[in-house]
Amino acid sequence: MSSHEPEPHSEFDVPPLTETIAPGTASDPDVTSAETATVTVDGQEVEVEAGSTLLDAVEEVETDEYVPALCHYDRQDIGPRSECRTCMVETDEGVVPACSTPAEDGLDVSTDAAPASEARDVNLDLVLSDHNLRCTTCGKNGRCDLQDVSIENDVEEPRYGVLDDRDEYEPIDDTSDFIQIDRNKCILCNRCVEACNDVQVEGVLRMEGHGGDTRIGFQNGSDTMEGSTCVSCGHCVTVCPTGSLVEKGIEDATTIPLPGFNQKNSVGKVVESADVEKGPMTPMKRDQVTETTRETGGDEERDWP
Amino acid sequence: MSETVGSQRLAVRVAGRESGDVAAAARERADAPVVEAGSTGVPGVEPLLAASDGDETTFYANATPADAEAVADALAGDGALPDGDATVDTADAAALPLPDLDGFGAERSVLARCGWIAPTNPDAYADAVGFTDADPDAVVESAGGVLGRGWGDWSADEPVGPLWEGVRERDGSPAVVVNAHGNPGDALLGESDPFSVLEGAAHVARVVDAVQVFVYVSEDDEAARDALTAAADAYPDFPVDVSVVEGPAAYRAAEPTMAIEAVEGNHRLEARLRPPGPEVEGVFGEPTVVHTARTVAHVAAAVRGEPTDSRVLSVTGDADEATLELTADDALDTALDAAGVSDYTGVLVGGRFGGLTTDLDVTPTPDALDAADLGTDGVLEVLGPDACPVAFVGKRAQFAEDANCGRCVPCREGSKQLTELLRDVYEGSLDRPKIDELMRVMESSSVCAFGQHAPRPVRTGLQEFAEEFEAHAQGTCPAGQCLSDATGEEPARAKP
Repeated sequence: MSSHEPEPHSEFDVPPLTETIAPGTASDPDVTSAETATVTVDGQEVEVEAGSTLLDAVEEVETDEYVPALCHYDRQDIGPRSECRTCMVETDEGVVPACSTPAEDGLDVSTDAAPASEARDVNLDLVLSDHNLRCTTCGKNGRCDLQDVSIENDVEEPRYGVLDDRDEYEPIDDTSDFIQIDRNKCILCNRCVEACNDVQVEGVLRMEGHGGDTRIGFQNGSDTMEGSTCVSCGHCVTVCPTGSLVEKGIEDATTIPLPGFNQKNSVGKVVESADVEKGPMTPMKRDQVTETTRETGGDEERDWP
Repeated sequence: MSETVGSQRLAVRVAGRESGDVAAAARERADAPVVEAGSTGVPGVEPLLAASDGDETTFYANATPADAEAVADALAGDGALPDGDATVDTADAAALPLPDLDGFGAERSVLARCGWIAPTNPDAYADAVGFTDADPDAVVESAGGVLGRGWGDWSADEPVGPLWEGVRERDGSPAVVVNAHGNPGDALLGESDPFSVLEGAAHVARVVDAVQVFVYVSEDDEAARDALTAAADAYPDFPVDVSVVEGPAAYRAAEPTMAIEAVEGNHRLEARLRPPGPEVEGVFGEPTVVHTARTVAHVAAAVRGEPTDSRVLSVTGDADEATLELTADDALDTALDAAGVSDYTGVLVGGRFGGLTTDLDVTPTPDALDAADLGTDGVLEVLGPDACPVAFVGKRAQFAEDANCGRCVPCREGSKQLTELLRDVYEGSLDRPKIDELMRVMESSSVCAFGQHAPRPVRTGLQEFAEEFEAHAQGTCPAGQCLSDATGEEPARAKP
């Protein structure tokens, strides 16, 4: 068992050491090629350098079919997370995710094989099934990756519908002065968690829960952005592919101006700031409580149907 | 050592949990050694008292301290043994002589010592089979062809040899993870014969030149954890560092990469991307072999020269739980017969996400199970005669929805939509093409075996019980479990 007890911070207020960061995500292996490789994509030979994935090769050429690769980011040490599986392609070894399969010499990639095409379409619709598709009230309307790939993929009516059950809506977290979170739009791509932990080394955000309760939370256990150790650097917002994280002040920037209709009341529930005198802008890092209790259970059965 | 029985003529054994009082009562009266063994795999008859007198052993199911006193008095020469529930000739003192009771089956190989020897006493294990100290090449030679058992094994249904070779040839400080999490067969071996698990792990550790062995158990399997910990402490000259690590009890936690995440101490368990698999980047980035307890027990048996094609199977569900063993030639219905199960709607073969079937004339080998679209995880979950298969597969889809790790879309969102599509059946809509499409994508694009196998109960259930599904879409439940009556009133909630 790992005996990496976090070093207690000294009495000085110092940035957290990376060992104390608990993002709640798996330690993925390196999923890039070790050497330069030549792969064939829809009949065209592509040479990619060492450290490449099949998606790098796919992006080099005009493919027969569109490969959304929605959750892919691949900049600033973020990703691949390979969570949305909208980049499935067919190879000699079956259907694989292009974003997280190393480019190996001689691999033959096909984007228009029926199983790959079906998997990309179904998975994109599955993403949409858990998304609050209220684009006209969203501050990211017109600058949203999910919207872009849905249009590009000719999604007209997602086969599983969209999240439109108001009982299931999570309140918008409007407590921070700088960043608003609407988890009803979150696709759990994990970019914000990696930007926060791996790039900014701030250790604020984490992935928590499992199954349908999986969500972005805070490493200090706070329920709200205001109570978290966020320093408002804004990196999470810049990498968010949807309207889940937006800068305060421009959350209605692209909202179609219908009287009385805006981002907040489209969901109906909002957690507002407690509006108390804050003193220092964020809680001190040394107050940070890292979750150490393990997840338990989750296997109990519910009623049926 | 009094716990060691070896070839002594007179002995009293008490198997199973809650057996302390019975053993204490026997010790009070008997001169013969009294052994507290682990579970036999048949908890319904435990505490199971076994009185050996010469070449004969008499079994007393659900024994009480009074039974123990009577048996002890008889063995001390004060009269004949009281009538037992079964009497068996005992030629081999090293293995449980199988009583003619429900749940025991006809033959035991890797389970032979479960419920018979003191599990954490190295002398008992040494007397029974002996610790084998084979050199790595001999281990590969004798055990490389063993097929990995269980969904928590990184070479499930594949020969273990190539996995070991890959790790052995790779640079780094290899680790071995013995995954004893969750499956009743793995937990039984950990509880009742931990030395065979550790011996198999020691063989693998020598082959891959590992620096560390982690034995991974569910926090719910306390008996297995305690026995494995005690055995690891008592193991004579274990070749490398060995530690027992607990993980959360959730089903997903047995997935091989989640087992590694748990060993590393991650507080939230999530499947890792692959390729590459743990054999390239495992525990703390080092090459790692992940085998279930069943697999390494079969490895230990192979190194001893015993045949290793037997299969550990557990009968669960609407039946008294029993873990037993079948040979590769025995059909699955042999196991149900042995467990005393004769009447059922169907059986889910091969774990939580196995295949639902009524045809059990299938041998337990991976090839035969695969051909029948059944799972290989060694669990036969019985649906009793009154069970509704439609409700059952619906609940299994709902379990997938509730219990997945939350990482990938096809599993997390797919299982949710699959559950919804099955609920729609109760509303009169049975959309097979839509259900089939979703299941195909979950199977082809989920990150790990959880999502890849989650649709199997539904897919096989739709095939095997097509009429029941049609009937539900028409508003009736042939089993009478789901709908209060045929008048189209609100469906009654099925029992959880």
